[in-house]
Amino acid sequence: MIAADPQMTGTPADTQPALSLQGLSRRFGDTHALREVSLDIAEGEFFTIVGPSGSGKTTLLRILAGLDQPTTGTLLLRGKDVTGQPPNKRPTAMVFQSLALFDHRSVGQNVEFALKMRGIDAATRKARALELLDLVRLGPDYYGKAVTQCSGGERQRVALARALASDPEILFFDEPLSALDYRLRKTLEVELRSLQRRTGRTFVYITHSLEEAMVMSDRIGIMKDGQLVQVGTPSDIYDRPRDRFVARFMGEVNILQIRDEHLPELNSPLPGFADGHLILRPEALHTDGQGIGIKVTVQERFQLGSRVQLHLDTPAGLMIAEQPASCALQPGDEAQFHFDPAQAHRVTE
Amino acid sequence: MKPGPLFALPVALFLLVGFAAPIVIVGWYSLIEPRSFDLTSDLTLANYRAAFTEGYGGPFYWSIFGALLTTLTCALIAWPTAKMLHARAGRGAAIITGLIAVPIFVSESVRLFGLSLFMMPGGGILAGSLKALFGVSIGTVLNTKIAVYLGLVYVHFPFMLFPLLLGVALIPRDRIDAARDLGASRWQVLREVELPLALPGLAIGALLTFVLCIGANAEAAILGGQAVTVVTRAIEQRFSYAQDWPMGAALTMLVTLVTAIVVFPVLARIDLNRLIRR
Repeated sequence: MIAADPQMTGTPADTQPALSLQGLSRRFGDTHALREVSLDIAEGEFFTIVGPSGSGKTTLLRILAGLDQPTTGTLLLRGKDVTGQPPNKRPTAMVFQSLALFDHRSVGQNVEFALKMRGIDAATRKARALELLDLVRLGPDYYGKAVTQCSGGERQRVALARALASDPEILFFDEPLSALDYRLRKTLEVELRSLQRRTGRTFVYITHSLEEAMVMSDRIGIMKDGQLVQVGTPSDIYDRPRDRFVARFMGEVNILQIRDEHLPELNSPLPGFADGHLILRPEALHTDGQGIGIKVTVQERFQLGSRVQLHLDTPAGLMIAEQPASCALQPGDEAQFHFDPAQAHRVTE
Repeated sequence: MKPGPLFALPVALFLLVGFAAPIVIVGWYSLIEPRSFDLTSDLTLANYRAAFTEGYGGPFYWSIFGALLTTLTCALIAWPTAKMLHARAGRGAAIITGLIAVPIFVSESVRLFGLSLFMMPGGGILAGSLKALFGVSIGTVLNTKIAVYLGLVYVHFPFMLFPLLLGVALIPRDRIDAARDLGASRWQVLREVELPLALPGLAIGALLTFVLCIGANAEAAILGGQAVTVVTRAIEQRFSYAQDWPMGAALTMLVTLVTAIVVFPVLARIDLNRLIRR
């Protein structure tokens, strides 16, 4: 019930949330896909749900869109109870992981689909479709094109324009960029974020890539085993992960055990620290400076643009450090690294 | 060695002797004087004119109408069946599919005689049960047009169902979700997404049903009594009892023409490779 705490969700209490999830659970037979998920998503927010596969994030999104129904719990959309309402009655739209474009229809017909379903006349539909294509940076000549002739990035934009057509209050995204190559994904991440700012819509996005979430989101919810384990801004989660699971999810980290005010793996005292784990980011390890010292042997060196990543053999096992590219250490070198425990984040779980 | 055009020779010869040549002969016969056998006489369209009047029109139209109605009925029953079998694919679905398929391997006449026991008046299974259980007396079903229609549907249902099962399998689940999400009602989903995507299967099923029905004879003979004369029966009579080969030939050509008009446009538009996932 993390999200019920307004301090953690960061939602001002006086504005009505766009979406309010109240204790949503979903069981498939004996499997608990979702357990008591509660969360408020603010109007105009870009909210991303991140989790490994099988964490229940797609189930959650399908419930939000009305494609699935919760076993228990309530879903409010702008204060109105929409639990049990079918998807075609909800003012929301979804961009599917597979995109789910209608291959038997043209680009224009795909974009117009929602308008046609609402009985809007052909001329108005076409005008709106051209506007939407322009919004997603596809020219008017795409209108009559077959969907099957479009490239991956173009199909992505068609799916986005199609979802925007009905002017939905909330847009849902189910890992729509996962099938694209790295560069295109980066471009579309930025475009998606800018589109969200321009339209002022509420976006709820699902991904297994925290990197993607960090770039785009106002807030991030981390999911594990059908539960939201942490909700917060990207920097909240990056700087203060709630537990080792979230910390590891945030990318490469070093985790050291704390017991009885000691770091047993390094055999060094750590006065004033309660039992738990110390989270050390690769950039928190330095070759100079003060703090706790670690004797290491460099195992590997990887060039990361302006920085290098070093894999270090330490008494606490493999650790990872990041250094400026000017760092002279090579595999096989022995060195002394330091870190300041006061700068590191401690978790209890 | 890659199979070349020579590999098509056996089937080409067979079609030439068994299909093309008879069509030419029948076509020729249809154009000579009624009740004559002289292929050298002057050609005439008299037989075709007679086909639409003089009592031949009835069987001809009945066969077309019966085939259309049967196709439509089979499609209406097969659609929900196919959807259900596809959605619940597994052991249960396999058993149901088997139960529907097995009768195809039993002689059609045997099945139709079985059905006639069901429809018989008085002590028939249907009439007898209704009388014994509810005290309701119904007249005869056997030897009516309804009986022929039910027989046609019963015999041809699998020919609609199995292609349609393949067609329904072509509809990805997420397209239905997407359409629903974009505001389509269930009816709109059917019209805009499911039917167009399943069309190859539906068209093949409809084609098979229609073509088989228009040439069907046994249903009318076994279940229909004197209630219906189907076009194949009329043709048979022309060639045998009546000894009016030119008239029989003209009716044959008309049936062939109707079949061609239905078959070619559909086959031209359907990608069979997609249906069998090649």
